[in-house]
Amino acid sequence: MITVRGKDPGVQNTVVSRPEVQRTWLHRLRKLALYALLTIMALVMIFPFLVMIFTSLKVPSDTFSYPPRLLPQEQLTVVMPDMDEPAPLFNIEVDGEKRQLALVQDNIRIGIYADPNALEVTYSLPVREVKPTGGFMDQQTITIDGKEQELWDVEVNGQVVQMIQTGLTAYGRFVDPNDPSVEVLANVRLSEPVTRVTARPQNYTEVLQLNGLGRSLTNTMLVTICVVLGQLVTSVSGGYAFARLRFPGRDVVFVLYLGTMMIPFVVLIMPLYQLMVQIGWSDRLVALILPWIFTAYGTFLMRQFFLTIPREIEEAALLDGASRLEILWRLFIPAAVPALATLATFTFLYAWNSFFWPLVIINTGNTDNHVLTLSLNVLRGRAADSPNLVLAGAAISVIPPMLIFILAQRFFIESATSSGVKG
Amino acid sequence: MSSKRVSIWLSLLVLFSLLISACGGAAAPAAPVAEEAAPAEAAATEAAPEEATEAPTEEAVSEAPAAEAAAEGDVAIRWRTRPDNQEEAGVYQSISDEIDAKLEGIGLAYEPGGSEGASYQDQLKTEIANGTAPDVFWIPGTDVADFAKRGLILNLAGQAANTEGYSNDDFYAGPMNFLTYNPETDVNDALWGLPRDVSTFVLYLNQDLLAEAGAPDPIALAAEGNWDWDAFVEVAAAVRGLGSDIYGYGANAWWGPYGTWMNAAGGGFFNADRTACNLNSPESLAGLEFEQRLYQDLDVAVPYGEDSEPPFRAGKVGMFQNGRWATPGIRTVDFNWDVVELPKGPAGNAGNWQFWGAYAVNANTEHPEEAWKLVQELTQAETQAKISALGTNIPSRVSQEAIDAFLTFTPPANNQAFINGLQDNAVAEGPLWKGDWPSYVTVMDSNVQALMTGEKSIDDFAATICDEADKTFQ
Amino acid sequence: MAATAQPMQKPIKEANGWLTGLVIWHILILLGASAGVYALYTAQILLPEWVRWFSLGALLLMVPGSLGAILFIPRRDHRGRTLSLLVNYIGFLLCVLAFLQFIGVFAGFDELADRFPRSLPFFGIAFAGYLIYAFADRYENSPRRQRTIQRMGKIVMLAGLLLALLALIGWEAVPQFVQERLQVPILLLLAGGLLFGLMFWAMWRRPAAQAMQVNNARQEAIEGYLLLSPNLIGFLLFLAGPLMLSLYTSFTNWDGFGTRDFIGVANYAKLLNLTFAPLADARQPANQVVDVRVYDELWRFSFLGHSYLVAAADKLFWLALRNTFLFGILVVPLAVLPALGLAAVLNSKLAGMKVFRSIYFIPSVAAVVGIALIWQWMYNATVGWINYGLLVATNFFNSITGLSIVAAQPRWLSVSDTALFAIVVMVAWQTIGFNTILFLAGMQNVPKVLYEAATVDGADARRQFISITLPLLGPTTVFVLSTSIIAAFQIFEPIFIMTNPAGGPNNSTLSAVLYLYQNGFQRFNQGYASAVAWLLFLIIFIVTLIQYRRQGNTSYEL
Repeated sequence: MITVRGKDPGVQNTVVSRPEVQRTWLHRLRKLALYALLTIMALVMIFPFLVMIFTSLKVPSDTFSYPPRLLPQEQLTVVMPDMDEPAPLFNIEVDGEKRQLALVQDNIRIGIYADPNALEVTYSLPVREVKPTGGFMDQQTITIDGKEQELWDVEVNGQVVQMIQTGLTAYGRFVDPNDPSVEVLANVRLSEPVTRVTARPQNYTEVLQLNGLGRSLTNTMLVTICVVLGQLVTSVSGGYAFARLRFPGRDVVFVLYLGTMMIPFVVLIMPLYQLMVQIGWSDRLVALILPWIFTAYGTFLMRQFFLTIPREIEEAALLDGASRLEILWRLFIPAAVPALATLATFTFLYAWNSFFWPLVIINTGNTDNHVLTLSLNVLRGRAADSPNLVLAGAAISVIPPMLIFILAQRFFIESATSSGVKG
Repeated sequence: MSSKRVSIWLSLLVLFSLLISACGGAAAPAAPVAEEAAPAEAAATEAAPEEATEAPTEEAVSEAPAAEAAAEGDVAIRWRTRPDNQEEAGVYQSISDEIDAKLEGIGLAYEPGGSEGASYQDQLKTEIANGTAPDVFWIPGTDVADFAKRGLILNLAGQAANTEGYSNDDFYAGPMNFLTYNPETDVNDALWGLPRDVSTFVLYLNQDLLAEAGAPDPIALAAEGNWDWDAFVEVAAAVRGLGSDIYGYGANAWWGPYGTWMNAAGGGFFNADRTACNLNSPESLAGLEFEQRLYQDLDVAVPYGEDSEPPFRAGKVGMFQNGRWATPGIRTVDFNWDVVELPKGPAGNAGNWQFWGAYAVNANTEHPEEAWKLVQELTQAETQAKISALGTNIPSRVSQEAIDAFLTFTPPANNQAFINGLQDNAVAEGPLWKGDWPSYVTVMDSNVQALMTGEKSIDDFAATICDEADKTFQ
Repeated sequence: MAATAQPMQKPIKEANGWLTGLVIWHILILLGASAGVYALYTAQILLPEWVRWFSLGALLLMVPGSLGAILFIPRRDHRGRTLSLLVNYIGFLLCVLAFLQFIGVFAGFDELADRFPRSLPFFGIAFAGYLIYAFADRYENSPRRQRTIQRMGKIVMLAGLLLALLALIGWEAVPQFVQERLQVPILLLLAGGLLFGLMFWAMWRRPAAQAMQVNNARQEAIEGYLLLSPNLIGFLLFLAGPLMLSLYTSFTNWDGFGTRDFIGVANYAKLLNLTFAPLADARQPANQVVDVRVYDELWRFSFLGHSYLVAAADKLFWLALRNTFLFGILVVPLAVLPALGLAAVLNSKLAGMKVFRSIYFIPSVAAVVGIALIWQWMYNATVGWINYGLLVATNFFNSITGLSIVAAQPRWLSVSDTALFAIVVMVAWQTIGFNTILFLAGMQNVPKVLYEAATVDGADARRQFISITLPLLGPTTVFVLSTSIIAAFQIFEPIFIMTNPAGGPNNSTLSAVLYLYQNGFQRFNQGYASAVAWLLFLIIFIVTLIQYRRQGNTSYEL
């Protein structure tokens, strides 16, 4: 590729031939395609979050709409002189020109009429304006295709024509707010409302007050910090012991550790819950922290990393009289910063997102001890009819870790990439 | 090196401050109280054999959180119910506070349960199993048998008999019939709890869509007595004709909606004494077949299994079948809407459900007397009136006053539809004393789903459903 | 040790004094522990059940331990040291943990949570300090400025942390704490802990070790266990212990409340109970060939012109297994292969890769509960985004080609054909970014020299990827694959949240863990649920084993 070509000037830079130019073009095209692909992929990755954030800013009546709209919008209204409530505005075509009209009356019953001799031409008129042929008591009928139908006097272009009713529907009455003489009857559902983009940030303040979501946010942070720190400590010491110290039974214990990774967590809930009750930790935050700082996963990861550190360094330090803790602290931990970052990332995600254990161990009534996932679960039941609130809650749970990871990506992602998870 | 030292000092400081700040916990009577209470508690039963010492110990631990809520000297009672929305949670809290002030010697702590359908009961049972459940809790009517048979809730019949002015007849007969059944004696001499409220299904109408489709007005039809399955199909088909994204009917996929069609055809889930599957009786099949037609041949309904509430609120569904609990959400829509009772089926009635749930008393409570008092207070007329003022449900006490008050909680204008549903031979939701309801409903749900989505024909359904479902009665 | 034996005479003498003290200490422990065991066993001291058994176990360990120490220490046998260390370590841990528990440190986390919000801004300051520190990387060319900025960042960080800790401390509760908590029995625990700690230290010291003639290997073994112990104790207590309990439970009919009878392998027998029956014709009803009071039809198939029926006593378990396998087969490639491709692209030195990298990583960061809510919303067949997108795309396609294709509007989560696939897509979407990062990590570890050599040999990018990157990515691939497979087999939360009823429609998304949950927590057949769990464990174990075999056992140095 390009960079490499530069490195070897003697061979390639002598003549720029025609194929070379073509290759550059091809290269650029490929690059373009690559970027297009990456961008599409990025859109796919990011779109659900856009939906979440925009929906969380919507007004309640805007949350359910079809076709779905990304941006939060609200319909414009206008105050009409003889109406109690502001009338919604619609874009209606009048004499070939689009105008903003106010809906002043809806559900006006409309009959659809047609001349029995020319059924394909229909006329829509309010049923009130149509009179039965021959009067109400003695309405005339006509038989079409063996079916008797009533006849109505319909005024068309100043002429009264006898027609049959072929259907019923309902229209709304639209009036120009500035010129009340302009009046149109039209289908409301299919009319295009006049909207403007708005945002309703109050959703966030509301949802934070609801169920004490603010408290769950700080609780989650606290729990996550404790779990991450605790797990780093236990995993580093355990991983070091497994990787570097020989003691009887080490390999058996290690295999046992690996085995527990394969057991579904759900099976642990009941025995662990019993244990927590016995210790008196049920319904307490400590139950979300302590059991989760001893994991096979972290120990496994650290062990794999420590295995890659050359033994010679350690042996030299031992001969100098350093203790194991000193070696761990001075040699292994500095070398393992990338691996620690990886582990911290894993653990952070795990602790921040854990849902089932909090669900069973923390009492639903004790909102002081709720974590985010728990509040979100309560919220999705209790505010099921206001998706704007539910998604505002979801946004609150998603945005902080997102921000942390974007801001600190040098630390988290890049160290993860350089840690070389050796598997 | 200096930075190392700083970091060592810092970590020491972390430890120190963690310790100190955590010890701040001493300010509140937290877990250690329970810890200390436990041996004391056990000491009281010192003479008792080993097994006996175990029980009070555990309970003492479980009572710890309650102690926080109680004032000095009061008996602490925790209670829980499942609110459907935040306003309801607030009302229950205020009711709890009022009763707390009213009942002497009792300190109440209200815990709003999560409102997510299934996990409310799961979590409750987990807490009961571990001795951390509240003293009084609400459970749906279908779950009463499961809780009672496992011995998780108290039989309150004795206490009720000794209570002046209490009578089973004050409440609707449907729920009470189930709540007083005693599986051991097979007669109605028990009392497993008192119903919190009742509710029925209605059809929520998008009146704009109905008018646009030129469909007849279901409310007028119902008033004339002509609101039956044919009229229903006519209206649904007319609305469906408005466009490919407009649906005539919508309902959610659980036993409630499909049960009403079976009921209205004269069928039902169980045989008369609720000891066997009745899903393959001609009547039940007729109801299911009609519903299947709505989804398949007539194709007038929101696809089975899709949540119907979003499209209804987006103005795309003409008739949406749901209970009173959906009203608060639907009040935010911006089209004209009202409610109408379910259409009458071949059996001559609408086959509606009488949904209910009951306050029951934890079998392991230390204060059964106080718990019973609380259950009574929670089902008093005034309490129920306050909850129904929110518009989410109908009081469970039979009283014209309560109904009259309920009718004023508009919109919807046609609140009468809920009451009509209740009085039109509504089938009370009920526990399954002789079988296992959760398993039964799992079998039923999946087979009905296959039927409604057209994966299974009604004949295939009829051939195997009861073989499968009857296993849950073993 | 031998090399430095000469100048150590004095320390050894000093150690002898300590060792004599230790023997006396162990005699005291022996007496105390024996009395304690007796009192606990005969229930003279009344404690909560678990405390009793726990202490009993610990004391039972201490009695022979101390006895051994008393016998071996005077003989200067190294086993004496090991036993003494063990006893003192246990004593120390017990005392300190009990002390912490009784002064309310653990329960105090709840109170800590009260004060945590007020220290949050200071944590923010600390984080800002970190950002400043990281910002210094911009000035790689001027080391002095870089160092200044780094120092600034450090100071801000430390100050932030310090302030945060100060804010965390519940000063107002301190006096009351001293009054209420620091009582004699609790202080005794602390004193006991200190004493045990002191004795441990005395035996640990190098002079004592020399006096006890401990060689390097023995010392290393003890150090190994010591370093492992924090992890091991937690592991035993919170993972292995409960797991063993669940293994036992799987042989009982425990309902979570009262009944807990040992019923042998009955749970497993019911789960695995399958029967085959030949059918007269392909449409013959199941109730004519199998006992439908026990079996439910699972599957029928034709083989060599004959039809057969497979029926199971627990149909749902087999359905759950099928769905779980299907899920794994679909989701693992979907989450791993694109990740590999993305990583290959992102690994190039093109501009903007960092931005893409973070964008792809974002879904992995979000809570499953929140994600599932959004996707459920998007999957809605009538008003959801995905179907609307399909509609718009089809209309667009029609408008440019002049065709009139009817837009597909799948009912994602409400028909059995697509529901599982819908979950697969969501889960793959969420995990791709994470796997990409793991692959990137592996790729950056491939020595650059190899690529340079390959370029000189004239290999193009694709050849390089196939012949260098892929083989050297082996260990990472094993890691990604095995964790993906394990996670896929344990799929639960997305299904639990997104399908209604959970596992629907028509059991098409019922996964093994969901089935386990339903049995354990909806029907409260805890024994049965545990049996499901252990069967699932066996399956995962076998699959993982096969995968290791196929990948070659190079990466896990077991």
